[in-house]
Amino acid sequence: MICQRCKNEASVHLTERVGGKRKEIHLCSACAKKSGLGLPESPPNLALDAVVQDLILTHVGELVGELAELACPECGIKYMEFRAGGRLGCPQDYRIFGRGLLPVIQRVHGATRHVGKVARQRPGAIHRLRLRSQLRDAIAREDYEEAARLRDQLRLKDIHA
Amino acid sequence: MTLDDLTKTSGEWLRGNGPESDIVMCSRIRLARNLAEFPFTNRSSRAEKGEIESHFKSALAASRLEMDYFDVNVLPPLDRQFLVERQIISSELAKGEGPRGVAISPHENAAIMVNEEDHLRIQYMLSGFRLHEVWDEINNIDDQLEENLAFAYNPSLGYLTACPTNVGTGIRVGVMLHLPGLVQDKSIDKVFRALQKINLAVRGLYGEGSQAFGDFYQISNQQTLGKSEPELIRILTDVVPQVLLYERQARQRLVTERRQHLHDQVSRAYGVLKTAQTISSEETMLLLSSVRMGINLGLIDDVSIATVNELFIQTQPAFLQKIRGSELDVEDRNVARATYLRSRLANGRMAPEP
Repeated sequence: MICQRCKNEASVHLTERVGGKRKEIHLCSACAKKSGLGLPESPPNLALDAVVQDLILTHVGELVGELAELACPECGIKYMEFRAGGRLGCPQDYRIFGRGLLPVIQRVHGATRHVGKVARQRPGAIHRLRLRSQLRDAIAREDYEEAARLRDQLRLKDIHA
Repeated sequence: MTLDDLTKTSGEWLRGNGPESDIVMCSRIRLARNLAEFPFTNRSSRAEKGEIESHFKSALAASRLEMDYFDVNVLPPLDRQFLVERQIISSELAKGEGPRGVAISPHENAAIMVNEEDHLRIQYMLSGFRLHEVWDEINNIDDQLEENLAFAYNPSLGYLTACPTNVGTGIRVGVMLHLPGLVQDKSIDKVFRALQKINLAVRGLYGEGSQAFGDFYQISNQQTLGKSEPELIRILTDVVPQVLLYERQARQRLVTERRQHLHDQVSRAYGVLKTAQTISSEETMLLLSSVRMGINLGLIDDVSIATVNELFIQTQPAFLQKIRGSELDVEDRNVARATYLRSRLANGRMAPEP
């Protein structure tokens, strides 16, 4: 890759999203410095997780970069946490992280569609997963009134389940 | 049933009968299942794990399944290790934390782990090469539990599991093979490489990551999505006979080309196990493997395959300590192991204590 300003070898690559459009900038280190984009001379005093995040972005790639911030609203797990630990947080993650997961699933199984035993349909279960995640949140912010209300709602559903 | 009762019996899968049982120790299938309304175990709070456990216990009680539930969370470490040795729970469940447990059927054919990597890990084992029977049994257990549990499932990806490597059918179909012939003629690596090429996994006796010992190897499917349960079983029932053929050919070569050497090796192994005063676990495995092959080749006729199969499990550290009723250090265990071996191999007569 050649620097867009001076035709030296580019060493700084920047991808920006401007109004939904992707914009790529490739510069050599001298031109990058002039534009205020250069890397600092001495190792920066970055927080450790920022360094880790940067390493992951460098090594795991762009798709992950876009997915990196994605978190499941039901269980709170981030896509990056799944990539690091290999375990998902809840059944809804398959839907939420679908774009990242399907290539992984294709690679592991050579397929992306289930064939075989079919489970019974239980439409209420996902709603209950949501109630439980709200209950967890209520307990975390010490809103015990809301927690009690949610717990009653779950109990009521238990009886009708 | 209590855990101490288990020390007096052994699992049906060790009985050494069923088709091809000279090589196939047992057939095993496990299913991974999760409750749709809870986060997976690693993201569940203690309270949620408790609820998962109680949902499971209610479903079990409402079913026609006859199984006893053991609360692994309150078991002492020695008892947990004892269940690991018996292949009833994984070491992950033993080492885990919070509410968790295992339901066990009377002859230990069925075991259901609760709050392992997935909420439920159902396993069924039978001695010999009988995967179709195992599937019928475990499918029935799954159906009965589903009467009262909502499993995490979606039509395009099937059963949803904590790790995407198990998604779809959630099934692992495996056989445990005794392959001393292939180990001795050093062709075992070639066989394993061939199996890996067709996406089958090879593991040791105690599962993932464990060293194969006693020349026992588990062969199982790795892919769980895109093929039905019967198709995945058929891959094993097509491939395993080929491995059995290679093992029998290797044994035959040992018999025809090195008969005296083989007979000597088997007799010495048997002699050491019957008379040793102290013996390590590793040496025991090695020698039991020779004796097991010796019985199958007709070189030893006064001890049963079932006894030898049981000894692979019953010479493990936790079992020895359970029957002694106390914790033992390594040296004491080696003495206890030798004493136990002498008593079991002397035609059931207890050898007099010194």
